Amino acid sequence: MLRETGYAVVAIGLMAATAVHANQNVLELQDNPEYWATQLGNYQGHRFSQLDQINRDNVQELRSVWQFSTGVLRGHEGGPLYVGDGRLYIHTPFPNKVFALDLEDEGRVIWSYEPVQDSRVIPVMCCDTVNRGLAYADGRLFLGQADNTLIALDAESGELLWEANNGDHTIGESNTMSPLVVHDKVIVGISGGEYGIRGHLSAYDVETGEMVWRGYSTGPDDEVLIDPETTLMLGEPVGEADLGVTTWPEGEWERGGGAPWGWITYDPELDLIYYGTGNPGTWNPDQRTVDGEPADNKWAITIFARDPNTGEAKWVFQKVPFDEWDYDGVNENQLIDIEFEGEERKALAVIDRTGFGLLMDRETGELLVAEKFAPETNWADSYDLETGRPVVNEEYSTFRQGVDVNTTNICPTAMGAKNMQPSAYSPNTGLIYAGINRICMNYEPYETEYIAGQPYVGATLTMMPAPSHNGSMEGRTGSFIAWDPVAGETVWEVDERFAVWSGALATAGDLAFYGTLEGHVKAVDLETGEELWRFKTPSGVIGNVNTFMHEGKQYVAVLSGVGGWAGIGLAAGLEDPEEGLGAVSVFGALGDYTKLGGVLTVFALPD
Amino acid sequence: MMVFKRSPLFAALAAILLASTALASEPGDYVVEDGKVDPSTYEGYLVYTRACMACHGPDGLGSSFAPNLIQAAERLGWAEFAGTIAAGREIQPGQVMPSFADDPYVMGNIPKIFSYMLARGEGGLGRGRPQIIESMQEETEEAADAGEDGNEAAEE
Repeated sequence: MLRETGYAVVAIGLMAATAVHANQNVLELQDNPEYWATQLGNYQGHRFSQLDQINRDNVQELRSVWQFSTGVLRGHEGGPLYVGDGRLYIHTPFPNKVFALDLEDEGRVIWSYEPVQDSRVIPVMCCDTVNRGLAYADGRLFLGQADNTLIALDAESGELLWEANNGDHTIGESNTMSPLVVHDKVIVGISGGEYGIRGHLSAYDVETGEMVWRGYSTGPDDEVLIDPETTLMLGEPVGEADLGVTTWPEGEWERGGGAPWGWITYDPELDLIYYGTGNPGTWNPDQRTVDGEPADNKWAITIFARDPNTGEAKWVFQKVPFDEWDYDGVNENQLIDIEFEGEERKALAVIDRTGFGLLMDRETGELLVAEKFAPETNWADSYDLETGRPVVNEEYSTFRQGVDVNTTNICPTAMGAKNMQPSAYSPNTGLIYAGINRICMNYEPYETEYIAGQPYVGATLTMMPAPSHNGSMEGRTGSFIAWDPVAGETVWEVDERFAVWSGALATAGDLAFYGTLEGHVKAVDLETGEELWRFKTPSGVIGNVNTFMHEGKQYVAVLSGVGGWAGIGLAAGLEDPEEGLGAVSVFGALGDYTKLGGVLTVFALPD
Repeated sequence: MMVFKRSPLFAALAAILLASTALASEPGDYVVEDGKVDPSTYEGYLVYTRACMACHGPDGLGSSFAPNLIQAAERLGWAEFAGTIAAGREIQPGQVMPSFADDPYVMGNIPKIFSYMLARGEGGLGRGRPQIIESMQEETEEAADAGEDGNEAAEE
């Protein structure tokens, strides 16, 4: 009895200590180049590794050392975590299994965890039952289940420590994103922008799972956690109150989407988290006008900089006011320190869904650069850096063209010139390495009615390969690029048959890694993009390539398993727009190259 | 005339379908001429693209998420095709077809979706948005009026 009490006292002491140091632990782990402790490699979202055991000169020798089948067929996004304990922690799409695998014993299962979930959540997961992975801090793993349950597991044993309810699938809410631990909070968003949900980002106590704050993407300022006097927009106070209400037709903000389902990054010095919100509810822009005129629909498709302690918005930037193309603004905000016009700037770079590469000041939210990384982009000609607004091209405005009118050849497609696949940034080269999509679309809005829990879309779209340009691969739907975020220029570009839907990795070994939808993992020369190595995994790669070192050996690991929106849209192939309607010839049917099935592949150099 | 041999669900379904398809011909009827179609089958393309494509892929061809519906329509036949849309189906854990029973737009247009699928299969209709046969064009106005309101499963 006495002994048990003693343990309890010790346990309470430990809990108090971990609450204070949770963030410190993540910081220490991510500063150790041997670990891969967060999905994006570090808080800043760099997906860069200092390891150089595997490098430009020896990567040809890289080989698979073991593989592990997850037993789940759906699209496998995210990647393995390594925190120095000899194990890899991986997850799967629905049913969201979690595995601790022994790195020293060819992936033997040390423990596994499988939550019990209501399978009725599956039909409200619009684009496959994907999940972007685990977060780790202080001996705990955190997972956002498809059914909106956020859980904490003991990393040692796989035991469930707590669970919290973050949403309701009967009104169309679901979860696909990876949480992020900052201080003593685990922060997570929500999916369901196609079901008329009202997006939110929420922080939970790492110890107890109790909600600490929630910031909505739409609605009154006190629920969005905006103070119009102090929250900045392009460096100036927002000024006007409740723009999250007044920039919508009556009540539409309540089903205004803005789902933050992408990645969160964090600046420990400024103590700010950064993330983007998704599309504004229905895809039919006509239903989001005020007095028949375009309205901003704030704060959909917006970058938020928030205080992680309280959720208060420090600054906001709406990338696409009055969306007419489903250009979700959720892409990762990479925090990079650069020289801009002779000055050192704390900057934020986005390879955006819209086809524009943005560079912003991450302290003030000022827009510094906005240039097209996908030259086919035509919905807007440019951004006005003063107003922060895109200069929209009428010809491709689905609102101006009208309801029940099929606006054709808009680039990029609603999938975006880049979707969720996270980019890499090398501080050595100052360049961003990104897998991108080269797909355009026809988009026809139609009147739709909101029914809770039912799709709330209101546009029909069909897709085709983007037009090729000088020397590009005919009919290609993807590329891997090196992007200069300051100059706003592509440095090199490698075309791929299919959209590149895998997260990139850059290393100090002068290599960049990425996966293809056919299932190749590739290593290319960081300087030129020249392919140096490839390996064919059993299925298409939409996961992220991660690297780490254990017992002096560098490993590269990736989840393969095709799916996601890429798998849905590309399985049957896209029609060649040049061939006309009903054409027989089809570009790149992904289904001819790969089928479903999740596998973890771990690579290393021979001994 | 439609014949339903199965459960009360089908009887209920039959009532809905009969009410909403007074203008249409038999479920599964279609006309394909030189890659063009009758207005009802064209409407079927629109409904499919709005409500089904997000999972079943473009032009009924299936995806990494849900099966080819052209083959499914031919294999299942009218009654089971319509019944699956109405009642949904759990094929296996992790693979679920939702019920569209609460979606009047889809429920009212199942015969047209079925026609479009058969046109795509045995009818040899190609991919993409078909055109309407000119001599049947007048009917389009009525079809468009009937099909304006609706929902669609879609993408993130």
